[in-house]
Amino acid sequence: MIFHKIYTMHSKLDILWLSALACNGNAHSFLNYKDIDLFLQEFDFVYHPLLPSKYKLTDIANFKVECDILIIEGSIEKHHKIADTYLDEVISYYANMAKVIITLGTCASFGGIFAQYSQNISGLHYRQKEKLNHYNSFYNKTITLSGCPVHPETLVGTLYMIRDDTKLPIDEYNRPLYYYGYLVHNGCSRNEYFEYKIDKHNFGEVEGCSFYEHGCQGTYTHAPCNINLWSGVNSKTRAGQPCMGCSEPNFPATNLWETKKHMGIPAKLPYKIPKRAYLSLAGVAKTFTIERFSKRIFESDEKKDRVD
Amino acid sequence: MKKKIELIEKIEGEAWLEYEYKNDYIEHVFIKFASSRYIEDILKNRPPLDALAINPRVCGICGHAHLIATVRALEDCYDSIYIPQKALDTRELTLIFELIQNHFKWFYLTIYPLVTSQNSITKATIPSQTASEAIAILAGQYPHTSYSIVGGVVSEITPLMIRLVAQKIDRLIAIFKEYIINRDLDEFLYCNKIEEMLKKEGDLPYIMQNIVDKNWQQLGRSHDRFIVFGKSGLFKSGKSIHTRYRQHIDTKYITTFTTPNSKAKSLLYREKFYETGPLARAMLNKTPLIKEAHRRFGDSIFSRILARVCEIPQLLLYAKQITKSINFSEPSYIEPPKLPAFATGTGIVEAARGSLIHKVEIKDNLISNYTIMTPTQWNLGNGTPNNPSSAQKALKGLHKNMPTELVFKSFDVCSVCTTH
Repeated sequence: MIFHKIYTMHSKLDILWLSALACNGNAHSFLNYKDIDLFLQEFDFVYHPLLPSKYKLTDIANFKVECDILIIEGSIEKHHKIADTYLDEVISYYANMAKVIITLGTCASFGGIFAQYSQNISGLHYRQKEKLNHYNSFYNKTITLSGCPVHPETLVGTLYMIRDDTKLPIDEYNRPLYYYGYLVHNGCSRNEYFEYKIDKHNFGEVEGCSFYEHGCQGTYTHAPCNINLWSGVNSKTRAGQPCMGCSEPNFPATNLWETKKHMGIPAKLPYKIPKRAYLSLAGVAKTFTIERFSKRIFESDEKKDRVD
Repeated sequence: MKKKIELIEKIEGEAWLEYEYKNDYIEHVFIKFASSRYIEDILKNRPPLDALAINPRVCGICGHAHLIATVRALEDCYDSIYIPQKALDTRELTLIFELIQNHFKWFYLTIYPLVTSQNSITKATIPSQTASEAIAILAGQYPHTSYSIVGGVVSEITPLMIRLVAQKIDRLIAIFKEYIINRDLDEFLYCNKIEEMLKKEGDLPYIMQNIVDKNWQQLGRSHDRFIVFGKSGLFKSGKSIHTRYRQHIDTKYITTFTTPNSKAKSLLYREKFYETGPLARAMLNKTPLIKEAHRRFGDSIFSRILARVCEIPQLLLYAKQITKSINFSEPSYIEPPKLPAFATGTGIVEAARGSLIHKVEIKDNLISNYTIMTPTQWNLGNGTPNNPSSAQKALKGLHKNMPTELVFKSFDVCSVCTTH
């Protein structure tokens, strides 16, 4: 995807951040961006749900505002109103004006959790994997940033790439591959246990991989959680929580803490790995007993713990 | 009777205030929240443990409190279950950090601009990022981790992690002294003189002095009734009417009702509205400075704002104490027996804005009913002119030119929690 350079009369690009049916998780995740002060020197929020903004929500709802980039957070409900104006009218007006639209978060992208309540709740262009037509004329200028929430670097990095006219390779849902080309599995500190097919995983331990028993979806979930660590320090899977697949269209699935299996084999295999390849490698790996993996990482080989 | 409708925004969503005036003074206010996300319905017929992943998404700013309330509700479904103290301590720590990030954000993004007409974004984000880092060290990420599970926590809590967390606490203490008030934490906690606090350097004395200079210190007085359901090493539960403390309270006396035209529930205790949150906690804890503020200004915006900021050093010192007492020889998690197929459970947490209660009912291994009662539903309910909620009472009698938005937001409105 290549966007034509956004020429504006102002020195900074104007961003309008609209909240639909949202928990504001993406807005708060954005506040965790370390260099937010530098970012705010280069971009202006004509409206943001938390930060001081140039305009009030009533100005937005009365169509008094101009913007270069439209960010939508939250699921779209047919009859939802903001400041007493139908959200549909507000979105249509500003989407038409904006050079680029960002659906921020899984709710705005695919409907997310709240779409499970009603068929009338969806993302802007998708309801899970189903492509919707209502806003189709804006699809080609939409960038999908899914996640619950989206890592602040994913949003900020994308905004800078838009501003700088950077070529943005994208996937089938218009997600930038710089972020969504990765799987959550990439960079997870528990990878070795996956590679050598160590099924055993106990919560509360640094060892083990939760793919086999506890429902981890990291091998088929597109997001850079283990490339750009959260708050720069950690990720859910590193901590020991199974990936819940929160950046994928079908989030949330049911029975999230258990791996569904067929004949003892995980029902969902790593992204685009043929079943035969997976089973062959798993078969080979399982023929070996590697002693190191049966030991705790923080346990000395002998009684060598230092006692002062 | 004159009427005016005002949209209140930047409250994790929006709310409408419909004022009724008598001679330019507010006679009554109807508080309207226009949208809901139906989370209680979405949870029905799901496996109970899925609630651990879904419920943090009730709220972007206090989702962690919802996670802890969920895990407590699920653990309450067992006749008995052993949770290692190390896991309980870790949960307490992450909850404390969420409260701290809330308090800083509220003070600098909500109160500071309303009192001074100035903005101070990085004074909100720097401490809240530090608190988020501390949560991420223990829980993987913030917001929206589900690291706390039935039986403990998913992370192996190591001395290395706790050292890092302790350093974040020291950083937050330094930030508090640099931004909020230039005083040692211990000294500040025992201070019981308003003028002594006002004389110090920092944004807290600056804001509070501003409020005094504008003669707003008595504004926003409500019923003077407080309730705290959650207990911790820092907070005690009970209720306080004026300054009379009663320890015994029970969630069975909570009733809820809805009002036409608003998606929010209102909560009552024995048919009465109570205020919950930092002021309530400080009243029950008898925090010296808040006791003094309350003696002089009652349950006004002055006491409410001061109580919330005064909670930060208490939380930091409590967190420090926890980091020093963690027993690393304990496990972080002990696998519990399977959840009962039929059960009910209640989970209570003191969230940033007050008492948060989750109730789960399980039938045939699935959630049959889930109820979420949030602090904002206590404080911002819709009563009648004769029996107004805490926020309605706080606004009643104000002249139309008085800072109504500040009074309303002194309760810290969380629209998404209110309607979830």
